[in-house]
Amino acid sequence: MNTIPITIDDKKIEADPGKSILEVCRENDIEILTMCHLKGILDIGACRLCLVEIEGMNKLLSACTTKVAANMIIRTNTDRIRKYQRITTELFFAERNHVCAVCVANGQCELQDLGYKVGLDHIRYPHLFPQCEVDTSHPWYVLDHNRCIMCSRCVRVCNEVEGAHNWDIKNRGHQVRIISDFDTPWGESVTCTSCGKCLHACPTGAIWPKAIVQGQLQKNPGMICELMEKRKMRL
Amino acid sequence: MNRQELKTIIQAEKNREFSQTGKQKICVCCGAGCLSSGAEEVMKKLQEEIKARGIEHEVEVIPTGCMGPCNQGPLLKCLPGYNMYQKVDCSNIEKIVQSQLVEKKPLEDLLLFADLREKPFLDAREDPYFKKQLKIALKDCGTLNPERIEDYLAHDGYVALDKALFELSPEEVIAEVKHSRIRGRGGAGYPTGLKWESVYKYVNDQKYVICNGDEGDPGAFMDRSVLEGNPHRVLEGMCIAGYAIGASKGFAYIRGEYPLAIKRFEQAIKQAKKMGLLGSHILGSSFSFDIEVRIGAGAFVCGEETALIASIEGKRGTPKPRPPFPAESGLWGKPTLINNVETFAAIAPIIRNGGEWYSEIGTPKSAGTKVFALAGKINNAGLIEVPMGTTLREIVFDIGGGIQHGEEFKAAQTGGPSGGCIPAAHLDVKMDYESLVSLGSIMGSGGLIIMDKSSDMVDVARFFMEFCMDESCGKCVPCRVGTRMLHDLLQKICDNKATRIDLDRLEELAVYVKEASLCGLGGSAPNPLLSTLRHFREEYESRMLTHDLSE
Repeated sequence: MNTIPITIDDKKIEADPGKSILEVCRENDIEILTMCHLKGILDIGACRLCLVEIEGMNKLLSACTTKVAANMIIRTNTDRIRKYQRITTELFFAERNHVCAVCVANGQCELQDLGYKVGLDHIRYPHLFPQCEVDTSHPWYVLDHNRCIMCSRCVRVCNEVEGAHNWDIKNRGHQVRIISDFDTPWGESVTCTSCGKCLHACPTGAIWPKAIVQGQLQKNPGMICELMEKRKMRL
Repeated sequence: MNRQELKTIIQAEKNREFSQTGKQKICVCCGAGCLSSGAEEVMKKLQEEIKARGIEHEVEVIPTGCMGPCNQGPLLKCLPGYNMYQKVDCSNIEKIVQSQLVEKKPLEDLLLFADLREKPFLDAREDPYFKKQLKIALKDCGTLNPERIEDYLAHDGYVALDKALFELSPEEVIAEVKHSRIRGRGGAGYPTGLKWESVYKYVNDQKYVICNGDEGDPGAFMDRSVLEGNPHRVLEGMCIAGYAIGASKGFAYIRGEYPLAIKRFEQAIKQAKKMGLLGSHILGSSFSFDIEVRIGAGAFVCGEETALIASIEGKRGTPKPRPPFPAESGLWGKPTLINNVETFAAIAPIIRNGGEWYSEIGTPKSAGTKVFALAGKINNAGLIEVPMGTTLREIVFDIGGGIQHGEEFKAAQTGGPSGGCIPAAHLDVKMDYESLVSLGSIMGSGGLIIMDKSSDMVDVARFFMEFCMDESCGKCVPCRVGTRMLHDLLQKICDNKATRIDLDRLEELAVYVKEASLCGLGGSAPNPLLSTLRHFREEYESRMLTHDLSE
């Protein structure tokens, strides 16, 4: 296959056309922070952590949704990008009630990892402390809106991989919430197959299985991609 | 219907006009503004009165779209003399009919602007309010009955479509639009001709034309008035666009809060279909085009093109990252042309009179005219259309009649929640895309809110931030959480509880939200804040706490 030359952070790279900037960076060990990206499902460019600077573009573009083009000159770690990654992370933590010490996902959480990566030592914005519900109606799983970061990975996995479309989103702005079916308790859902893929897709402790205690949570977000690869092999 | 039949109908309708028959015509403004102040009763009473006097064969009463000076409504316009009456109510109808129609003498003390001018102009076109304006998109708004396609035909309706279909190739139509140098009237100002060309170049058996009528800026009502006052003009523009880019299907996305606009546009579609001006084999040519109306459900973000497309597809109205642009992959993944109502309204005159004619109006970089919705502390609030490059001073003082109660002008807010404020020092700014951007504002869709000394600029910024916070779709973090944080910080300043650290944080966060957001809503949400900070910084500074809170 023909490759196209691009430059990322002064490094010359031969990239496969049709791939996203994020894919090319990951193949070449260039670190890009992500939160809403999950290999195996469609990218939506919502978390804005993967923003990169592209020469000749006056806007910052999300690496996950932008395809590489010949002679693109991309920068992934300028001062501005790093500053914005930190603000985004701070806003994630300030938005809802993320208390690692009492969370089942402590040590297994992508948001927590992100905090370490950007060197988050304090949050400069006031915590919003919204009143969020915890849906425990499902016999096996729990949905805790306090820990949800609205990455919508569960929505996409349920729709694209499981084909059930149990999850969706209601409301607007900072009042958005994940809903099951037409905003009914998860336990009463007629579309949910209880497959548990959303649990593995969730980057935080927002969806977790009952009957575990803190420290026992095992998530395997990579299983979504493995599953999709295997399906392709069957075709 | 074929070409020849169309020409016969146009001629017959032209003969019916007052200039030919000598019949008097009274236009009653039935735009949403005048309707809400009682135009319907006025029209009923007027018809009764005329019938009672037995002069119904000499006078024709027609409902029309918006005439402009909305806060003087209900308005009447008497043709051929162009005598306009303001604030008409049922009690003075009798007097008007007696004097204007029977004695043929205009009633001076009820004429338009009788309370503002020493002596009102008998012919309203002489008044500076109209004299400084140049109406292209709104030309027949206020003169023709929007519910009759025949009225539109009498005003050169569908002549441009006929010309495009039979005398021009799609490339020539696009060349004409490019030559006119018209730029998108929705706000961003992208050259319309280039947009048409890029959609034209994508080869696909199915393409779409979308008319964006999801006007949501607070204080803006240009699209509503065009759709209510002359729906066929927009329809014709969409048809021509469809022919130019090779689309067979169009969607008009109109916000649900405009029931009258929806009703009239749907009616227009029905009438055009009946006459063979829409549907299969338009005017006997090989071109087929159909239009459907989609009603917006009240989300501001659906004015953003990718969110609007998602909404038409039946999905949650949230934007998608661009590229790919709708020109390449839009509605259902097909090449899609999406233009604003006002842009489509200008297409027919451009095709009829040629691009050259249009390009000579306005400034070198911004050609043509722009419709503004004047609102706020101004004497003549309403709808105006001026050539690009008209100064803000002319708009506020010559057309707008100055500030209410003789107060001092403080600032003009353009572009709604995506725009900024222009202070008094820049009253002589030319209203065109580039000049407004250089002042930290934008042209926007055309909302123009005039403020006097009583307006608190920090509160203005807070108001628009609250609007963006509520209207954010919640998809991306900078907009969802960032606008909330910015709003809370602005509220803190309004409450006199903020410190300098808060102000620094506010500025940093505003730039972040502007640059990191996914779509134009978040990308422009900090504009009112940044522009008031730029021009009215002292209002922010004077509210800072200087003492230590612990004391």
